[in-house]
Amino acid sequence: MHLIFQIPELILEGGIIAVIGYTIVFTALLILYYTFLYLGKVLAWKTRRRLAQAGKLSNQETEIEVTGEEAAAIALAIFLCRDLHDDESDVITIKRVSKVYSPWSSKIYGIHTFSR
Amino acid sequence: MNARKKAITVFGIIALLVGLNFMVFQIPGMAEPVTNSTETVSNTAPDGVGGIMGGITKFISYTGFRNATPGHLIMIVVGLFFIFLAIKYDYEPLLLIPIGTGIIIGNIPFFQDGGINLQLGIYQEGSVLNYLYFGVVKGIYPPLIFLGIGAMTDFSSLISNPRLMLLGAAAQIGIFLTLIGALYLGFNMPEAGAIGIIGGADGPTAIFLSSKLANGGIINGVQTQNLIGPIAIAAYSYMALVPVIQPPVMRLLTSKKERIIRMKPPRSVSKLEKIIFPILGLILTTFISPGALPLLGMLFFGNILKESGVTKRLADTARNPLIDIVTILLGVTVGASTQADVFLTKGSILIFVLGALSFIVATAGGILFAKVMNLFLSEGNKINPLVGAAGVSAVPDSARVVQTEGLKYDPSNHLLMHAMAPNVAGVIGSAVAAGVLMSFLM
Repeated sequence: MHLIFQIPELILEGGIIAVIGYTIVFTALLILYYTFLYLGKVLAWKTRRRLAQAGKLSNQETEIEVTGEEAAAIALAIFLCRDLHDDESDVITIKRVSKVYSPWSSKIYGIHTFSR
Repeated sequence: MNARKKAITVFGIIALLVGLNFMVFQIPGMAEPVTNSTETVSNTAPDGVGGIMGGITKFISYTGFRNATPGHLIMIVVGLFFIFLAIKYDYEPLLLIPIGTGIIIGNIPFFQDGGINLQLGIYQEGSVLNYLYFGVVKGIYPPLIFLGIGAMTDFSSLISNPRLMLLGAAAQIGIFLTLIGALYLGFNMPEAGAIGIIGGADGPTAIFLSSKLANGGIINGVQTQNLIGPIAIAAYSYMALVPVIQPPVMRLLTSKKERIIRMKPPRSVSKLEKIIFPILGLILTTFISPGALPLLGMLFFGNILKESGVTKRLADTARNPLIDIVTILLGVTVGASTQADVFLTKGSILIFVLGALSFIVATAGGILFAKVMNLFLSEGNKINPLVGAAGVSAVPDSARVVQTEGLKYDPSNHLLMHAMAPNVAGVIGSAVAAGVLMSFLM
């Protein structure tokens, strides 16, 4: 009988911990969510203002965000424009590589000395 | 034919040794206290035939064949199974190979009767394995793993779409429901907290919390069992089995129409935002849950090393050699901690059952919360509920599962980038949950 009463109490305590704990986890990430939601907006607003001051932003443009895909496309275009291998010089040099003799790397012993 | 001959030779040698064991001790190869025989052996003067026979008897009493128990053999088979899963199916090989090998190392039977400490086993004070295990028991390895994870994680998908953070929070329901389940099955409160963290699907966090709450000591006036081994093995096994566990739950809880929802492409994130994220994240989360400081402190520190752009060398070390070294040590010692006499208990089996359920609940929690969020989101901003499954923090496996499942229903709908957001939020969420449980239960 003693056990029957003890178990639900422990589970109840666990339930309370679970509810409070889950709420805290949610709150932590909710705070992060709002922080970065508004941080993004503030940074976008600052960028828009800077562009407007420099006269690079027309009044019709409301969206200044660039998607990751667009950024990747722009980056690829810049890369292709600047770093194409076609611009390499056509000078081809044949360089004779001299190898220093070493008995450690010599094949002469392996080739000619058969042990019969 | 040749292979068959080799196999016969190997089994022949094993049979010979077992036979020798039978002849000498007349006991069928299983452990039996041999204290008396050893005492006799040690008292025998090493002269003549008697001395040689005594030496041989002592040697045999020390062999694995003499000390093996069915438990050891079962655990060795489990270790081999882990290695098989890693090689054959490529399930988390970086974890399962060290853990599987560790299980074999930890279950090589050796003489440990009569309180003799040969300094061999992981639980024997002064042994090499015991020193390496210190990093697990004191929770040193998990923060170092988190440092490496921080240095290799790109939080930009999370920063570009912060609402996906909530999915990472929602999936932590697995932790708290498992806690209640563990209490129901008879574990005490600190043990239940440690078992619950398996639902976070985060190996290092599970080891960290179990080393604090279920380390065999007295926690908050309650005597606990040492559950670090079973909890770590359960967490890592189920993390490796994410591609098997999650898809049925995802299919069960979503309609075909929901699975093909296309999400808005994430915006590009500025360098400034990427630098601010770990700094603000560190301050905000650890102010709320200081218990998570060792984990989140190192996670965000690693990320600052990466995003600052001026500490490339340190970031490279943290995300490559350092995390590799710690993974090796962690994997092999966690594996070795599954010594049969400590590991093969009813409690371990219950932990495995609870672990599987917690992964299912966590996956369901993320998916269902995404569906609830969709009720409030406008058309065009809807979330593909499959992404919710990535709220469990098995990085990047669950995000990969979401991508694979999404492609099955629309081959041009790539969900990986979107899924990475709740996935890394899940890492933060499970660490916060671990901190909360520590502060409640310690």
